[in-house]
Amino acid sequence: MTLGDAAEPLVHIEDFRMDFGDTTVIRDLSFDVHAGETFGFLGSNGSGKTTTLRALLGIYQPTAGTLHIDGKVFEPRDGARLGYLPEERGLYKKEPVLDVMVYFGRLKGLSKNAARSWSENYLERVGIPEKAKTRLDKLSGGQQQKVQLGVTIMNNPELLILDEPTKGFDPVNRRLLMDIIEEHKRAGATVIMVTHQMEEVERLCDRVILLKDGVARAYGTVEEVQEEFGGTLYRVTYEGVLPESDLYDVISAGDGRAELAPRQGASEEKVLRELVETGAGIRSFTPARISLDEIFIKVYGEQHELAEG
Amino acid sequence: MALTQHNLGTVVAFEFVRTIKKKGFVIATLAIPVLLIVVFALVYASNASSKASADAQKSAQFSFAYTDASGIILSPGAKAAGGTYSDNPEAAIAAVKDGSSEAYFQFPADPTKEPVKVYGADKGVFENGKYEAVAKQLLEASAQYAVGSPRLTAALTGKVQFDSETFKDDKVAAGVGGVIPPMLFLVVFYISMILLSNQMLNSTLEEKENRVTEMILTTLNPTTLITGKIISLFMVGLVQILVFLAPVGLAYLFFRDRLALPDMDLSSLVFEPGPMITGALLLVGGFTVFTGVLVAIGAIMPTAKEAGTIFGPLMAMMFIPFYTFSLVISNPNALIVQVFTYFPLTAPVTALLRNAFGTLNPVEAAIVIVELLVVGSLIIRLAVHLFRYGSIEYGRKLSIAGTFRRSELTAK
Repeated sequence: MTLGDAAEPLVHIEDFRMDFGDTTVIRDLSFDVHAGETFGFLGSNGSGKTTTLRALLGIYQPTAGTLHIDGKVFEPRDGARLGYLPEERGLYKKEPVLDVMVYFGRLKGLSKNAARSWSENYLERVGIPEKAKTRLDKLSGGQQQKVQLGVTIMNNPELLILDEPTKGFDPVNRRLLMDIIEEHKRAGATVIMVTHQMEEVERLCDRVILLKDGVARAYGTVEEVQEEFGGTLYRVTYEGVLPESDLYDVISAGDGRAELAPRQGASEEKVLRELVETGAGIRSFTPARISLDEIFIKVYGEQHELAEG
Repeated sequence: MALTQHNLGTVVAFEFVRTIKKKGFVIATLAIPVLLIVVFALVYASNASSKASADAQKSAQFSFAYTDASGIILSPGAKAAGGTYSDNPEAAIAAVKDGSSEAYFQFPADPTKEPVKVYGADKGVFENGKYEAVAKQLLEASAQYAVGSPRLTAALTGKVQFDSETFKDDKVAAGVGGVIPPMLFLVVFYISMILLSNQMLNSTLEEKENRVTEMILTTLNPTTLITGKIISLFMVGLVQILVFLAPVGLAYLFFRDRLALPDMDLSSLVFEPGPMITGALLLVGGFTVFTGVLVAIGAIMPTAKEAGTIFGPLMAMMFIPFYTFSLVISNPNALIVQVFTYFPLTAPVTALLRNAFGTLNPVEAAIVIVELLVVGSLIIRLAVHLFRYGSIEYGRKLSIAGTFRRSELTAK
């Protein structure tokens, strides 16, 4: 299977709805992922990200909608060039590392020798070649994660679906993981990544979708999403009391520092003038783009406010 | 298709190799033949000492006194055996009690109405039997002499062999020799289920408990996975049976006499095509049904411990038909036998028993075989379905109805 036709999106989800009993967890979700791009799938716990991925991969049957990979519903026989790292991690814990890796390599269509050779090279690369014959459950959590990642990227998948890939990784292994993702990205692989690490999304992702309560709340390139949620904010340092104004919202404030989100029609000039004229004691005023973290908090902050209300 | 076959072979090889490499499996599998070898060695040693002991007893002589109110006992014979006639029973008994005489036999006037009383000095449980044996031998030899014909004596004492022949459809019926071969399918069914059922139950639980299901379901069709597991388990079972039978076979071939193993006349076994084919198909059908049920339980239950609560009653279904064993053989039309014949979980054992004893007619056999294969296939499909939708319900017991509500939904 060779994935991806430049004219068609590699992953196409349209009007996807998912009910569990009487509860609708995803409603009318539509988005595309194009071949070669890195796509960030964002949302808080329980927002429906994992459910969407499972439905896309045929693990769940969707209630309604179209979920296609390369123009058709995914079937396991198409999995040879797919690398899926699920949220729920696990391998055959009582088997030796190499045996498990070779098994999955064989399932992905590699010959036994090729799977063995690939696995040995990978273990060498991630610094645990001596663990090849060790049972998985005798490995540390981080080492198990490395093996799991190895199984995921075997056979150079053209589509990588990573559900919270950095979960359980220490900073060193996280760096390794990011390097590997970037390598695959450079090699032309399409990456769909569920994560809560917004700095990674900003660094790696071409486009993102932000899900809340099963509904897409933002979708597009990182810049487009930032623009949609105010695009620009102002970082100020000040003395005294920061005044309230109709021209901006205070995102955060304290210790003489604040982040202000301009409201509709409020230009940089107007906001600065307002601050100066109200005698806020402004010492610095720096325009900046709103971060995905801030957008995330903004979107989910509404939820908390509603819940509290 | 090619990838599916490749994957089936990969699953079978992986599951088979990792099972037979497990320490627990190796120990459990080797424990039985080792135990058998130890038992055989003990029997061998015991038989050697028993033989020496029996030889010693044969040559051993003991003196005894006897009284004979029947007049049957011949005094020359009694004298040759070490006997001395006594006319005082009380004194003879007293002599045995004080150890001055080894034994005393009191033959009554009518041995058919009164017992022959045997008194002897205690020589231990096993050796004490010699007194009664000698008294009996003495009585029989004297009676034979009185009748004047060994043949008549044999006829009177029932020491005659009978060779029966019965006929069915104008042919000599096979008898027990015809029951044993189809009964072997029942034995194979029991052995395979006892050896493999626990592994069947755990085979799909492992994916669930190890959280490996999602990785598997995106690379492998669940039908391929479960088919591969069943095939590998069957191969594992064959390996176990061969390992278990090896010492028995070797012992029978090379040490049969020394181990006092029965000399089986294999030529008396009759392999009739009908019962043999029926037995084989019932075995396959029964194996399919039970395998499907066990895999389905594994898919529903979150842990092996919880699965065990259902496992017990299921296994009981295999043994319940034996409670009606006599009815199964003598009155196959009894309601309970009919119910057991057609209820899928009791059908394999009941039908295999009836097939071996010739009470399962061809129509009934065909119905049960078709039923088992159809029900077994449906249950395996259900098991695959439950695995597919149940095995990602990590740590939770699955609602079967819930999986169907979910799977009724379409991806279109």
